[in-house]
Amino acid sequence: MTETKITARNVDVFYGQKQAIDNVSIDIDDGMVTAFIGPSGCGKSTFLRSLNRMNDTIADARVTGEIRLDGEDVYAASMDPVALRARVGMVFQKPNPFPKSIFENIAYGPRIHGLVQNKTDLDEVVEKSLVKAGLWEEVKDRLHDAGTALSGGQQQRLCIARAIAVSPEVILMDEPCSALDPIATARIEELIDELKDNFAIVIVTHSMQQAARVSQRTAFFHLGNLVEYGETSQVFTAPRNEKTKDYITGRYG
Amino acid sequence: MILTGVLLAVVGLGLVGWFAARGRARLLYTGRGSMHSMPSYHGWHMALWIIVPALLAWMAWSFMMPGLVDGAVLASPAAAQFPPDAMSRAAILSEARTVASNPNAAVFNPLSATLAEPMRAAQQRFGLIGGLIVLIVALAGGGYGLTRVRAGFPARTQVERAVLGVLLLASLMAILTTFGIVASLLFEAGLFFKDVSPIAFLTGTHWAPGNAGGENISDNFGAVPLFWGTIYIGAIIAMLVAIPLGLMSAIYLTQYASSKVRKLLKPMLEILAGIPTVVYGYFAALSVAPMMRDFAASIGMANPSTESALAAGMVMGVMIIPFVSSMADDSLAAVPRAMSDGSLALGATRSETIKRVLLPAALPGIVAGVMLAISRAIGETMIVVMAAGAAARLSLNPFDSMTTVTYQIVQLLTGDQEFNSPKTLSAFALGLVLFIVTLILNIIALRVVKRFREAYE
Amino acid sequence: MSNAVWQTPEAVRRLAKRHAAERRFRLLGLSAIVLSLAFLALLLVIMLENGLGGLDWQFLTGSDSTNADLAGVWGAAKGSLLTMLVTLVLSFPMGVLSAVYLEEFAPRARWIEWIEVSINNLAAVPSIIFGLLGLAVFINTLGMPRSSPLVGGLTLALMTMPVIVISGRNAIKAVPPSIRDAALAVGASKVQTVFHHVVPLALPGILTGTIIGMARALGETAPLLMIGMRAFVVTPPGGITDPSSVLPMQIFLWSDEIDKAFVQNTSAAIIVLLVFLLAMNGLAIYLRNKFEVRW
Repeated sequence: MTETKITARNVDVFYGQKQAIDNVSIDIDDGMVTAFIGPSGCGKSTFLRSLNRMNDTIADARVTGEIRLDGEDVYAASMDPVALRARVGMVFQKPNPFPKSIFENIAYGPRIHGLVQNKTDLDEVVEKSLVKAGLWEEVKDRLHDAGTALSGGQQQRLCIARAIAVSPEVILMDEPCSALDPIATARIEELIDELKDNFAIVIVTHSMQQAARVSQRTAFFHLGNLVEYGETSQVFTAPRNEKTKDYITGRYG
Repeated sequence: MILTGVLLAVVGLGLVGWFAARGRARLLYTGRGSMHSMPSYHGWHMALWIIVPALLAWMAWSFMMPGLVDGAVLASPAAAQFPPDAMSRAAILSEARTVASNPNAAVFNPLSATLAEPMRAAQQRFGLIGGLIVLIVALAGGGYGLTRVRAGFPARTQVERAVLGVLLLASLMAILTTFGIVASLLFEAGLFFKDVSPIAFLTGTHWAPGNAGGENISDNFGAVPLFWGTIYIGAIIAMLVAIPLGLMSAIYLTQYASSKVRKLLKPMLEILAGIPTVVYGYFAALSVAPMMRDFAASIGMANPSTESALAAGMVMGVMIIPFVSSMADDSLAAVPRAMSDGSLALGATRSETIKRVLLPAALPGIVAGVMLAISRAIGETMIVVMAAGAAARLSLNPFDSMTTVTYQIVQLLTGDQEFNSPKTLSAFALGLVLFIVTLILNIIALRVVKRFREAYE
Repeated sequence: MSNAVWQTPEAVRRLAKRHAAERRFRLLGLSAIVLSLAFLALLLVIMLENGLGGLDWQFLTGSDSTNADLAGVWGAAKGSLLTMLVTLVLSFPMGVLSAVYLEEFAPRARWIEWIEVSINNLAAVPSIIFGLLGLAVFINTLGMPRSSPLVGGLTLALMTMPVIVISGRNAIKAVPPSIRDAALAVGASKVQTVFHHVVPLALPGILTGTIIGMARALGETAPLLMIGMRAFVVTPPGGITDPSSVLPMQIFLWSDEIDKAFVQNTSAAIIVLLVFLLAMNGLAIYLRNKFEVRW
């Protein structure tokens, strides 16, 4: 009953002369959380950014190989990165709310994509997104306060709500909790668990515990290679690869 | 003349002192740790003791000497038939001074020719006295310095203290300059406001300093048309050119251009900022103004003038483009990349990201940049002098000739002038207004920029 | 849901519209820059067209004259040279020493802030105000000779000094603290550290700033107008106290002549001035590229 959302085949990513990702092939399934783990600099974030073509914004980045979203080639000339990114949302390492009100932060996506026709619809989308992101109760009385005035954890949930508001199919999360305290982290992890029923979620994390807690699939990256990929429980309890085992048991990282 | 020679002699003495003290200090050296300071520091210490006091004496004397000379000349028999009023006395004395140093100089007042001889004699006499005093001071300083050359003497510490003193003095120049500007503007403007009411000056609409005089003097010094012309040309027309072009250039350079293109175009744009204003002024007068006039005639205006607010303002705007562009560039660069990443990741296009996220986020910085640009535009002189015109009028028609504060300052202070007439003094009052306005704009803008930078750090 | 939402005709139309807006915006940016540069090109072309014919030996070696054919720029150029000399001799040491003090020795105190505020504001004060200062202080109060390179140089030095201080401070700031630590650790005093190590390393940056400041001073006209450097000078000035003119002033004076023949002279003088400025800026860029050390 799970279906494959994203398929990547023989993907290489270069920054100028430097190769950051080497021949990675992976299938990412819908309706569950896939975690990318690995030591820093292993290319997991780079690979994540190539899934919604955010690497396009880096001047000398180059992606080869094949990435398909629902069978459509993401890097085809006919693929519009604007539409792609609306379908594949992203949450960043550091919360990055726009310097606007909470409401405007959420409304931004629906507005630029023309997803709503009138104010009532927009209000509804904003409320729904905030409810889904578990932020509604905390901010419903101050929707017009600055988004930057929220706490770090709230800001990150605001960014998640902002991504949800465009109703994407996939949400990419690039170490979404690394700038947050443990309580805010727990709150986000809960949220990820709730969201996985509606979205395919890919999360990059440097915390193995986090990967074990929130994900159903885990991919271990090392030096630009995908070393091991499988059910999270299997990867953590019975890794097939020596390197994975060393990393998970904390021998390096 | 003599004093200049003495100055050279003092420097020579200093050099001699440097070598003498260093030589003596070297003789004192008996081994590692036997002296507090290196011999050359003893040399410097000595040289400072020779030169500094002598220099102070020289400066004091140079300051006093003209007065002493004038006194001696006035006391001489040739000055018996001197006119009593101070103004023409000063004029004749200064002419005599010129003749004394250059016998071929043209003379307007025959009296000054007869005074030239006593003047030269007095200059010689007082020059000699002064030279002697300076030399004695130098030698005394050197004598004292020489007694200090001892093994334990901390010459280096002393010299370094002197160096710090010099550094401090240099730093104080900035405050002194600011003080000088404020004091001279306030003083001269104060004299002006004794004759003309400040309220009439700031609110009056009739500007005709040429026929000022008598009872209703205040009526001819209404500076509002000047303020209007300045604002219309510098803050409206120029900004209508500079803001869109500068801002869009900055956006293109920072957001769209590849780094190669940026490296090529940015310096080219900056050439615009390096062209002297007089060149812009000439260009405005020679090419742009006639073009504007023909254009005005073609749209049916009767007798358009060659000098127009539009020509001056447009050229000024072009001059300001690189300024606006680089301020906008800085402001856009200060917005964290995460902002545009966040927007792009939602599927916004570049231009949507720029218009809806980057520009609002960079707005305080851009506004501050525009304020600085306005402050620069309203203080700009040559373009308006050459292209804007002298007519003080309150008009909305950009093809009209209009005048500005800076234009009037130039007009009032060049050509035949008698100092201390309300006409010339009014230039300082205008200067004071200009200074205060640009100062306020700058202070606010710098504060906004600072707060803006801090917000994203 | 999937991508069906994005492939309805309406969504496709909307996307196309957004991309068209994107292209328009980008084009707008490019045209802004092209328009600005076109203006620059127009200015240069007009000056070259009008002035190149007038650049001959007579013009380069002559002085001002009422006859356009005999008039030349040498008198004004020499005036500029003398004025710049005075400016450099005063503003460079003052500016550098001031920058060194503020960056390396100044205590954190209220009055130091005043100095910093003064410098930042002086850098933005309209140049004509410096002319008023020069007129009121140097000429009317101190009685220095009107129209002379001495007074012109003094006035421009006050204007240039803040530029040198600001660029000097940035250059000094860019020298890493490890250099200072190294010198102090071998027993150099603070003054020795600064003058033996920090200042030499910062010098290229300081020089670049100085040249840029001097180039600006060379092109300045308004403050010199205030102190009467618009003398009609038939013979080049012999010293810094002789009445003289400067290049930009000569341009201004000629631009005012009714005789059409002076258009050529004015444009030719502009070419001479721009060549000087280009050379100075080129030197600054060369210095920066050649000696700038990236830490």
